[in-house]
Amino acid sequence: MKKSDIIAKIYMLIIFIVIYLPTIFLVILSFNDSPKILFPIKQLSMRWYTGQRELWQMNPSYIPIIHDWQFWNAVTNSIRVSGITAVLTCIIVTVTALTMRYRLVGRDILFYLFLLGFITPGALVGLGTVLMFSMLGVSITEWNMIAINTVYASSFGFILMMARFDPELMLYEQTAAALRVDPLRVYLHITLPLIKWEVLSAGIMGFLLSWGELIRNLWVARGTGVVSTFIYTQLTVYPLTTKWFAAGTIMTVVSIVGLLIMAELLSRGAK
Amino acid sequence: MVRHMRYILILPGLITYIFFLIVPLGIMTVMSFFKPVWPGYKVEFTVSNYISYLTSPQFKTMLINTLYTSIGTAFICLVIGFPFAYCYTFKVKSQRAKNYITMFLLAPFLIDWTIRSVAWLSILGEGGVLNSLLLSSGLISKPLKILFTPAALFIIWVQTNLLFMIFPINLALGRLDPEMIDAARVLKAPPHRVIYDIIFKASLPGVICGFIFVFVNTISDYVTPALWAGGMQTLGLSVSTYASQFLWPQASAAGIILLVVCIIVLYILLKIVDIKKLVYE
Repeated sequence: MKKSDIIAKIYMLIIFIVIYLPTIFLVILSFNDSPKILFPIKQLSMRWYTGQRELWQMNPSYIPIIHDWQFWNAVTNSIRVSGITAVLTCIIVTVTALTMRYRLVGRDILFYLFLLGFITPGALVGLGTVLMFSMLGVSITEWNMIAINTVYASSFGFILMMARFDPELMLYEQTAAALRVDPLRVYLHITLPLIKWEVLSAGIMGFLLSWGELIRNLWVARGTGVVSTFIYTQLTVYPLTTKWFAAGTIMTVVSIVGLLIMAELLSRGAK
Repeated sequence: MVRHMRYILILPGLITYIFFLIVPLGIMTVMSFFKPVWPGYKVEFTVSNYISYLTSPQFKTMLINTLYTSIGTAFICLVIGFPFAYCYTFKVKSQRAKNYITMFLLAPFLIDWTIRSVAWLSILGEGGVLNSLLLSSGLISKPLKILFTPAALFIIWVQTNLLFMIFPINLALGRLDPEMIDAARVLKAPPHRVIYDIIFKASLPGVICGFIFVFVNTISDYVTPALWAGGMQTLGLSVSTYASQFLWPQASAAGIILLVVCIIVLYILLKIVDIKKLVYE
């Protein structure tokens, strides 16, 4: 192996350690018996995961994560909101990106509109949506959260998808069209198989951005809300305890397993 | 027929963007010119919301705080992320390895934002790992104060936004033929010219795109500075503060000024390179 390759691998490893540093400590500290976030750990325990729920535990910060039904409600809401956002992002990004390859009237305006969706600060979109629905006299629902997350995720997904298109894709499509193949067949048998991984990537991006979004969601969240708004609200009212590190550890394990399965599927597909 | 079909296909995206982006922004723009009355507004044209906001003694501090932290974070992400994107593009040969690296980069983003932020408490806090190590090694005699300072803000933002810099640079570098780099080396081009004239210039649309992604993500995040930078005053925080007091016209004016700041920075960046080249040209 060349010296430059070794340096490259060491550098990438260091960056991974930096990215994962808080996660590593999150996992270790989640097994601390003490409610305080402190080193060194005096006693290891599973108390914050599966401990008994005592009747005196009125403060939600002290309820073991497995018994916190509000947290699991928020997780269910997050999965639903992020899942629908991912599907909508896939549809909007794929259809728009495929169309924008052609010289359409107003193509640049549409491009800047997509860029505006990304550059507009979350607080502005959230507040604007709240004002719009208050003026219309319509109550805010989960669908508003899905819509503003879709706008944000689509802008990001659109730029990434268009940049990844196979340069030869249009040539294949034009050849098929010259041979008088039905446009639907061209799409199903040429276009879609060639862009399926870009479509999947747009979906993953939509899911991730929606899952992690706090600023936009804070404005339109109602009730338990989603994971990001629920935990933020809990920590602004109640003290930080090891319980939330246990919640983070569960999310870490589930997300790593899920993404590793995704990586394997992508690798098999690439073959 | 096919041409008309193309216009129909852009409609779902267009309608979504008009209804959930343009209309809310339009309402905020109109609202920013209404007279403020507590709680709410009175339909009476005024520019006083803008004048009082722009001439307030805090505005200059908020603008400087907002710009230097957001641009600073984007710049640090570029310095750290560019070599990573280069190694990822040219030094990792197997597609399977690339897929796994991508997924490992994405995994921390599925952990909740608030939990990810508070996890830094265990590292940077006064009783955290960093201070414990430094104290036990005798390098310092009393704990360093990192949390609730701008340094903590930069550390947390760089960690959470690095991915947004790496991906676009990787996309831009992926379009560069590696044989061009080899050809330059064969022709005895000095290393700094290979890096600047070939690698960096080819990646410029991705660099600008990544810079915009990180800048916008950080400029709109008012929670992290408020929590981890000792309650640092930023433009985003002022929007939230006004809104929490139901001062809609002032919140709208502050929000529109924040958007204008974003657009000015974006305009300057797009003058350097047109990111449309990365997308469809």
